[in-house]
Amino acid sequence: MDNLEYLFAGFAVFWAGLFIYLLLLQTRIRVLNRQIEQLEERLAEADAAPPVEARPIPTPDGPRSAESPST
Amino acid sequence: MNALASLVARLDALRWSVLPPVVGIAMMAMIVGALVAAPREIIEGEVQRLMYLHVPSAITMYLAFGVTFVASVLLLWKRDMRWDAVARASAVIGVFFCLMVLLTGAIWGKPTWGVYWSWDARLTSTLVLFLIYAAYLLARSVAGPLDEQAARYAAIFAIIGIVDIPIIQMSVRWWRTLHPQPIVFQPDPALPDEMLLVLLVGFAAVISLAAWLILLQFGAERAAQRIEALRSQVDRRETA
Repeated sequence: MDNLEYLFAGFAVFWAGLFIYLLLLQTRIRVLNRQIEQLEERLAEADAAPPVEARPIPTPDGPRSAESPST
Repeated sequence: MNALASLVARLDALRWSVLPPVVGIAMMAMIVGALVAAPREIIEGEVQRLMYLHVPSAITMYLAFGVTFVASVLLLWKRDMRWDAVARASAVIGVFFCLMVLLTGAIWGKPTWGVYWSWDARLTSTLVLFLIYAAYLLARSVAGPLDEQAARYAAIFAIIGIVDIPIIQMSVRWWRTLHPQPIVFQPDPALPDEMLLVLLVGFAAVISLAAWLILLQFGAERAAQRIEALRSQVDRRETA
């Protein structure tokens, strides 16, 4: 009994499975790293941006500052 | 826990430096040993050489699910999401090797038993193990990487799932099965020395391969956790 084709098939399945898994993992790691870079940039931009200015709130008597007392 | 976490961190640092050449050399040695150095088995013929891949893959699968079990216990105990990343990473590799065990076993079974698959106790319990941890990964992937409640439920599932491993191991003793009886893990291994040596090289190769893959997968799981943490930070800053 030689059964060489089954021996070849067994090793081929193992190596093909391993390469497919590594390819998928590499793609996933690349996507994740790109997302991390983008989020870190957005975080740095949010940190660098000046705080939101107090905008005037419209009232029946005319606009007044958000900081002003509500009396 | 800190000692274990620092060990994981130290191993993580090795994933691109030491492990790839070690794994490459070990895998090459295993292939040469299995295909060239090991003697031809008289009854089964050449297909018996699949044993040098199939048996180490099975033991590696047990080890990977063992890591998932330990990491799941530590997650429930310490409430540290790094253990969830370890558990998921090792479960992915366990499922991969479980699939390889089922496929190489089926390919060996066709010329030896005449069929690719039989609802034999060893084969069926291994298929159940594959389904248990595939379900674990599927359930865990539905929730976010930093969802602590989902991680805890998944950890309980992973801990219960490990019960199948002793059933697989003992199935050939408890029930009448087609699968061969253990010939290596016993006081007097019923295997010629040349075959035993190649099998040991196979163990070293496949276990080191699995360790490397777990570290790579762990890096991806940690990156996914970091993305979720960064997203919530960005959302907080941008809505403030």
